[in-house]
Amino acid sequence: MISCTEFIPAYNELFRYLDQRGGTNAVQGFWEFLSDRFLTNLRDLVATHGLKGCWLYWSRTLNEEAADFVMELDEEAGIFRIEMRRCPSKRRLLESTHLQPYPHYCRHCDVLYRRVLEPLGYSYEFDDSKTDQAVCTLTVRRKTPPA
Amino acid sequence: MSLLRMERRASDNPYLHKDFHAALSTALDYLRLTYGETAVRDFLHQFARAWYQPLREKFRQHGLPALREHYARIFSLEGGEVTFLESTNELQIVCKRNPAVLYLRERGTPISPLFHETVATVGQTLCDETDWKSELLSWDPETGAYRQRFFRKPA
Repeated sequence: MISCTEFIPAYNELFRYLDQRGGTNAVQGFWEFLSDRFLTNLRDLVATHGLKGCWLYWSRTLNEEAADFVMELDEEAGIFRIEMRRCPSKRRLLESTHLQPYPHYCRHCDVLYRRVLEPLGYSYEFDDSKTDQAVCTLTVRRKTPPA
Repeated sequence: MSLLRMERRASDNPYLHKDFHAALSTALDYLRLTYGETAVRDFLHQFARAWYQPLREKFRQHGLPALREHYARIFSLEGGEVTFLESTNELQIVCKRNPAVLYLRERGTPISPLFHETVATVGQTLCDETDWKSELLSWDPETGAYRQRFFRKPA
């Protein structure tokens, strides 16, 4: 059995494997498939609860992943934001002495969530300028005011 | 309308996100559907060689106890149920409660028909360049219960 605590190394190696087979397009194809097939829970939560669906989704996942973060939801302003102070996934890869992090590893967070949120009427912004320190920010904004 | 704020340190929570089992199953299915079954085994082989490199080294140095220690730890971490049958030249891992498959069933996530390769291919890869072999003796696709054997290669 592969433990769920070993998934991030598996994810990293999968990106590397796909890149070896078909370059970044092959990796992108997988991210799109994963977004469509796996992130149904985020899609359902946001479709049902609006921006608060983001809060509900990441409240569970980030705590289970033991992330170091600040998360804010301002429903009136229509903004949801995560300031990731230490991403548990990237940190594991950076700290590993025997794994080689996939160079575009963090881009999956841009592709996967954007693909869910934009069709639901939200803008999605992902700042990956400090991912070499396992730091990033994610901002979701409602495009139209609530009815 | 409310303003909500949550702040957590890494040390506030244990690291156990079982949705990752679902992501892995989805990934294996993607490989199978896009590149064929061999790609699933190739990827798992590449992953196991990279990630388990320290475990493989321990296995080469200390033999079967290194594997037993590893599997006992991950099953305990995830609330699985496993029994080890040991002799000098063989270790059998008898998994009665597979937390990965049980979680996927609970969540209603489709399970890749090649999910057993997470046991079989990984086991074989751990034995690469050693005097040991691994085989998956049984696998129940419904529950993920399985029996796996590590044994010394016949001289």
